[in-house]
Order: sequence, then C-alpha cells, then structure tokens
Amino acid sequence: MESKPQPSANSLPPKPWERAGSSSGPAPFKPPSGGSTSDVVEASGTARPGEIVSSSDKNAIVNRNSLGRPVPTRPWEQNYGNSGIGGYGSTMNYNSGYGSGLNGSYGGLGGNYGGLGGNYGGLGGTYGGGTYGGGMYRGGYGGGLYGSSGMYGGGMYNSGFGGPMGGYGMGGPFGSQDPNDPNGAPPSPPGFWISVLRVMQGVVNFFGRISILVDQNTQAFHMFMTALLQLFDRSGVLYGELARFVLRLLGIKTKARKVQHMGPNGFPLPGNSNSHVNQNYIEAPKSAPSGSWDNVWENDTSN
Amino acid sequence: MPVFKTPFNGYSVRFSPFYENRIAVATAQNFGILGNGRVHVLDLSPTPGAPITELAAFDTADGVYDLAWSESHDSILVAAIGDGSVKLYDLALPPTSNPIRSFHEHTREVHSADYNPVRRDSFLTSSWDDTVKLWTLDRPTSVRTFKEHAYCVYSAAWNPRHSDVFASASGDCTVRIWDVREPGSTMNIPAHEFEILACDWNKYDDCVIATASVDKSINVWDVRSYRVPISVLNGHGYAVKKLRFSPHRQNLMVSCSYDMTVCLWDYMVDDALVSRYDHHTEFAVGVDMSVLVEGLIASTGWDELVYVWQHGTDPSAP
Repeated sequence: MESKPQPSANSLPPKPWERAGSSSGPAPFKPPSGGSTSDVVEASGTARPGEIVSSSDKNAIVNRNSLGRPVPTRPWEQNYGNSGIGGYGSTMNYNSGYGSGLNGSYGGLGGNYGGLGGNYGGLGGTYGGGTYGGGMYRGGYGGGLYGSSGMYGGGMYNSGFGGPMGGYGMGGPFGSQDPNDPNGAPPSPPGFWISVLRVMQGVVNFFGRISILVDQNTQAFHMFMTALLQLFDRSGVLYGELARFVLRLLGIKTKARKVQHMGPNGFPLPGNSNSHVNQNYIEAPKSAPSGSWDNVWENDTSN
Repeated sequence: MPVFKTPFNGYSVRFSPFYENRIAVATAQNFGILGNGRVHVLDLSPTPGAPITELAAFDTADGVYDLAWSESHDSILVAAIGDGSVKLYDLALPPTSNPIRSFHEHTREVHSADYNPVRRDSFLTSSWDDTVKLWTLDRPTSVRTFKEHAYCVYSAAWNPRHSDVFASASGDCTVRIWDVREPGSTMNIPAHEFEILACDWNKYDDCVIATASVDKSINVWDVRSYRVPISVLNGHGYAVKKLRFSPHRQNLMVSCSYDMTVCLWDYMVDDALVSRYDHHTEFAVGVDMSVLVEGLIASTGWDELVYVWQHGTDPSAP
C-alpha cells in the first residue's frame, strides 16, 4: 500500500464524492438545515430525549405496519406464561418452514421430541443437538433448565454452548428449597424467583439470537436439514423407526408393539390372525413361507 | 495481502475516515449468540506483506455487532453491543478510561451504528427493539427515537449527501426513509418479500439506495419512483448480510453474504457481478471499502479472520 501523508488529527479529508456533483435530478428531500443536529431536531419539535420504547408502544407500531403482511413473533415476546416448562415446545414455531414432505415429517419429529425434552431434560441433552431444528429449540429448554449440558454439541456451530446453559440449570428450581419442611427457615425472599426469571430471560435471549440467525439464514438451515436427511437415508434409518426408537427411550408405548407381531421383515408370524394385513412389502425374503408369492398383492388368507 | 486473526468471530469491519491504514473490527464470542465481545483497532503496515498490528482492543460484556468511526474526532469509535448498549471509545485515552460513554436505551440487541458523514456531529443506532435512535455527542441521552418498523431494524444508514436524511432496513421487509425533522418516515419502500438485512446510499446519487435481503438478492432503488427497483443483483447463494457503495465509483458496490463470499457489483451494467471473492471459510458478515484508498476492501467473518486487499488481487495471497 502506498504511503500518503497522514492528515493531522481532527481534520477530516474531503470525501471523494463531495468533489462531484449529484448526477441525477432534484431529490425529494427538504433542503438541509443549518446548525447542529440536536438543534435542528429540537427546533423541529420532534425531539424526544432519552425515550425508551415500551412494549405497549410496540403494539401500536404493529398496527402501523402498512404492508398488511404478518410479521413473525419474536421468540422473546411469545407468551410462555400459561404453559409449563414443556410448553415451550408447543409455542415455538421454528418448524414452520419445513411443513411439507420429508422435511416436514422430520421437523415434526424434532418438535415432538423437543416438547418432551422439557420434561426429560437429560434425554433432551442427548438427542437435542442432532435434530437442530425443532429438537434444538425445544429440547434445548429442557436441557438448559434441568442442568443437562452438552446438547448443543451436535449442531453446526454450537460446541461450547452446552456448558453455560447447563450452568443455569445447576441452581435448579427444585434444588435448594423443601416446601414440606415444617421446621425450615422462613420462606425465602422472592429473589429466588426473580433469579429464575432472570435465567429464563437469559434462555429466551439465547434462543432469540439463534432464531434471528435462523431467520436470516433460512437457506443455509435448509441445506443443513437436507444434508441431515440424506445422511439418514444412507444409513437406512426410517424416520418413523427413529421416532419410535426415541419415544421408546422415553418410556412411551407406541405402535411399535404392533411391529412385534410381525416376523422378520414384516412377515406374518405363524398363527397370527392379523397377519394378512399390510403385506405389500417391497423386499420379501427369498425363503418365503409356503405360497407366499401367491398372495403378496392381495389379502388372501387361504394359505 | 495482510490477514488478522481475531479471537472471536468477526461481525463488522470499518475503515477509518482519517487514516488510510487504520481499521476497526467488531467481534463476538460464540458467533454472537452467547458470550463476550471485543473491539479491535488495527493498523495496516504501509509496507506490503507486513503483518497487521493491533493498536488497541476493548472488551465488552456482550457481543459487538457493529462499529462506526466518528467523522469529527479521529480517535472516537461507536460500538453497537448485543446487550442493548451503545458505547463510545476514545483511542487517545488509556484502556482504563474507556468506554468514555455507555448509553443504555435500546431494550434489545443493537445491530448497527452509522456516523453522520455530512454534519459529523451525530450518529444512528438500530436495534432489534424495532427502533432507530439518533444520538449527538453534546447530549447525555438519545435525541430522538424512530419507531415505525414492526420488526428488528438491522441497519440504518445516513444519506452521504444530505445531513438530515437516513434510511433504515428492517426484518418487516421494508426500508423506510426518514428526515430527522419530520415526525414520521417520509417514505416506506416494501423492498423485498423477505427480511432486509442492510441498506446503503449511493455516494454519488443521493436518490439511489441499495437493499440486501434474505432472499439472496440486492435491489437498487431510486427513491423518487420506488415501485420497481432500477436493478436487481442476483448471484449470492444465501442471505446477503451487508453491502456498501464504493466511495470512489458511482456504479460499484461490495456485498457479503452467508454464502461465505464477498462480491463486487456494477449495478449499471447487465452482467453486474464484477468479481467474487471466496476467501472466507465461514459466513462473511462484515465488509467495507476505504474512503481514502480507492479499491481497498476489508472483510471479516465467522472464521475469525480479517482480510484487507486491493480489488483485483487475491485476498488470501501472502
């Protein structure tokens, strides 16, 4: 880089564009006023020194949105008041962009699972990171609040987030107080709940920033989901199977039991009266039970 | 050309309007999602190939999302911080005396800062609390708050030829043009179908403004007839994060994107993409063009690297 003499302090070199005239016609602006900015604004009567915009002001602003387009709700402004911890899952809406096809079903999985993650924080920690969409948002609340950390390790950019979030949970809403202790100290001051609220604020902040990022970057998010889906495709894991596996881990009985009525590869076990349903499997074993090829395409129980 | 490694992820870079070899970089820990921030002031060596040296660094309690150099004092910087504060730093003072001011009026993350280049006594900050605030150094609080946007305001930029006019770009898919003497916005341009992340004025035509959006495009508008854009620049693969018109050439602008590239555009010609630089290995989120040296570009990104290079050369060449 060539070395030019430095301008002396506090003398701003002229801007390159100040030497040139404006190239187009008259601008639709009022001519500039003289004087300092604060004087100009105060003279115009529009000055509002130190105004802090409250949320009630904001509602009025929304009504002024002349586009008539719906504006997304900010993650930190959603109403969490009436729901329990698990309710975070139900009010977050970050699967909405994936409402169709495979992505939809996959996002749905993350959503469901994440909702449960609110109640089962530890497991949320294990599985929340991998799902990235619904799972990360929703499972994330469970993990953070109940002290399970490391859930963000699986995502693209999330290594290290688990630590501090887990740290919030360590205090534990249920750790230090025993409401059933008759001889206990007088009720602790509301500072505890204020601190809980503060933690919640931090959590909401955290997810607000992630969601802003996801909002700004929906395309990259889509790419990540596609890659993840391809990975699952290659390893041969069916989404439904995955969902059942996860739900079984959580101790929830699902239709998985029905699968157990079937033999290997979905073939009917001998003597099962329900075995004639749903036999249209693409892959049939080579050593099929007797007469199987005759009734592959129909519900014929005559064998 | 020289490269500087920052400990945190880069968010914004700005050339000093006073010194041709000085830049400031805004960084945030953990990609700006959680953690601290740091403002770096860097000096480029006048000899080619020599490393970039750090002149000063200031730590903050939350990520720093944007910076603006003062146009009236060569040592003063404005920083937009993730905790909603706006901080002023004076390089001439020792680190213990900094920041010299800390304003806490925004209720959400402050996402951009821009210093008035015409009147040189005021600056704007825009925030996720949907507002833009106007500040002057001679007042202890903000002078005015502009609150018409219905979603986060990602960027606010002064008109470089008019001391009272600025534009703001918001996630509500509009760009609004404001006059600080008017009670409301003077224009409301529904510039994109998706969130608008940045806007900037043409330095040579005070009626031309460009907007960068999540829809991967950059639109160029004439504020006198904004029904249709005068140009649409396609070429980025993901959301366009920032853009800046050239201080030296009327037609040129530079942009950076989540597709990890920095692009230079000439919006007046059909084949608008002049060059594409893919030196960043993570999201490229900060870019600037030097006012004092024609063709000098700086960029930063989540790969924690700051590049400074002359247009036409390879940014990552040693």
